[in-house]
Amino acid sequence: MSLFYFVAFLSIIFALMTIFTKNPVHSVLYLVVTFFTFTIHYIMLNAQFLAIVNFIVYMGAIMVLFLFVLMLLNLNEDTEPMKSVLVKVMGVVAGMCLLVVLFGAFRVLDVSDALVGPQPDIGLVKNLGKVLFNEFLLPFEITSILLLTAMVGAVVLAKNDTKKA
Amino acid sequence: MGAIITLSLLAILILYLGLYKAEKALLPVTLIGLALALIFELRLWGENPEPLFHGMVLFDRFSVVFSIACIVLSGLIVSLSKEFFHSLKAHVAEYYALVIFSLIGAIAITSYHNFAMLFVGIEIMSVAVYILSGIRKVDTYSNEAALKYFIMGAFSTGFLLFGIALMYGATGSFDLSILRDYVTDNTSSISPLFYAGISLLLIGLCFKVGAAPFHFWTPDVYDGAPTMITTYMSTVVKVASFAAFFRLFDFVLTPLDAYWTPVLLTIVVITLFVGNITAVMQNSFKRMLAYSSVSHAGYMLFAILAIGPLASNGLLVYSIAYSLASIIGFGALYIVKRDVGSELFESFNGLGRKNPLFAGLLTVAMLSLAGIPFTAGFIGKFMMFSAAMSQYHILLLILAAFNAVIGVFYYLRVVVHMYFKNAEDEFVLQISPMHMTIFVIAFIGTLVLGVYPDVLTSLM
Repeated sequence: MSLFYFVAFLSIIFALMTIFTKNPVHSVLYLVVTFFTFTIHYIMLNAQFLAIVNFIVYMGAIMVLFLFVLMLLNLNEDTEPMKSVLVKVMGVVAGMCLLVVLFGAFRVLDVSDALVGPQPDIGLVKNLGKVLFNEFLLPFEITSILLLTAMVGAVVLAKNDTKKA
Repeated sequence: MGAIITLSLLAILILYLGLYKAEKALLPVTLIGLALALIFELRLWGENPEPLFHGMVLFDRFSVVFSIACIVLSGLIVSLSKEFFHSLKAHVAEYYALVIFSLIGAIAITSYHNFAMLFVGIEIMSVAVYILSGIRKVDTYSNEAALKYFIMGAFSTGFLLFGIALMYGATGSFDLSILRDYVTDNTSSISPLFYAGISLLLIGLCFKVGAAPFHFWTPDVYDGAPTMITTYMSTVVKVASFAAFFRLFDFVLTPLDAYWTPVLLTIVVITLFVGNITAVMQNSFKRMLAYSSVSHAGYMLFAILAIGPLASNGLLVYSIAYSLASIIGFGALYIVKRDVGSELFESFNGLGRKNPLFAGLLTVAMLSLAGIPFTAGFIGKFMMFSAAMSQYHILLLILAAFNAVIGVFYYLRVVVHMYFKNAEDEFVLQISPMHMTIFVIAFIGTLVLGVYPDVLTSLM
């Protein structure tokens, strides 16, 4: 349990660091660390598949993409657009409202002592596969259309048109 | 299910046709495929609806009717867009395929019975449209529209997913039947997580349908995207999103209306006012239509406020009326833009004299959008208002009637430009027979529905 609180503490700290640092590259690196702490959470919940996917996809692929974009755009403190005070105030108010709603919802929940839920095996790859290919077969198959759409779109948008005569 | 499979195969076939440069065959094959999908949907008509594939989809009357509406509207829009797609020269087949992919998503979300299907369907529908709105690669407005739509869409999907996750946390299931049982069995002890889930889901769905205060993407995206894609976005995508919205609230959340009615009521009022008042101030016809589509989202939300059989009929009639009129409106805009080169109201000057038939059709479409009697738009508004009346939302009705009056003002502006302003030149628009046929079909639909709405209302 104390391990959980320690990792949760780290998650929050690094998430806050992500938004408070001025330098975008540092911000992205803090985000990597935040994702890493999430991976630890997943492992503690015995959700092995989720942990691996989170590790590879989020920390690996997506973060590399993020860093590439940042480097290509060459963002730094100077190029950060000025945001008006009004926008900042509105953002804070809206964010706080969301926080209040979520906090209100979470506050009344029962806290379970056990770190791992009633079915400790539920996050194993074997069980996930069974659910995916049985109960959730249709959405799983239809996801292929989503991927095909994205692929067609990437080709259409990224392909260099031959110069029109 | 047959329709979804047919359309998936159709899209792949279209991609192959593109590979073999059979560009002439694209439109006929697409239309044949859509007709096949339509037949599959019609065959589901009399059957006893049961959740299929472990409760993933449910093809009940509601979903069949809305799927058919989406297929027919897509057919009309694809035929209307032929000239535009072929004018882009490269990747013509891909555009047809993307429209069909998007339609698959639309059908998935009109017939979902599980949040997993809702999510996947919304994503398929939106991703295809993100790409389509950016297909004019050299046009910066088109690029801006695509990027804005993508970022806002991804953002709203975040809300949607968070809402779904919280609802799952409260009930332990994605299945609509189980969620409904949970709501009806524990009316007094519903988990607060569930309520937070409803709020987030509501925000996500309002983003998707473009209701204020989540409408900020709508004008820029509708304005920047190519006109034909805007037509698709403001008709099929919107109708399907509303069907999904309605289905969730009708199926699951009716017993909790005390919680979400005030929120939705506020959203409706803001949407109506923001949409109508900003539409009055526009100088561009396209931007006016974009803002008016925000206000129409407000009227369509009436159906969710007054949920029930009356409201589902109203939603159907309203969406069809709005879509048919939009097809004429945007189609006319496309032709004017192509020939005159401007989207401002001034470019419609003198059309009443130069192209009388065309101007007449556009006038009827505008009257239908404004809700003048004997057009479909009037029946749609009437059914929505009477549905709201049955729930005693009197104040809302007064505000809505006020907004309808504002609507008449800006819809008639284009009519005034067509008939009472003289153009400087004698340039006559060239309207291809294909465009004219689509306009006439939409026009007949508008009038038939306006005079004899029972053709649709008896369906559900």
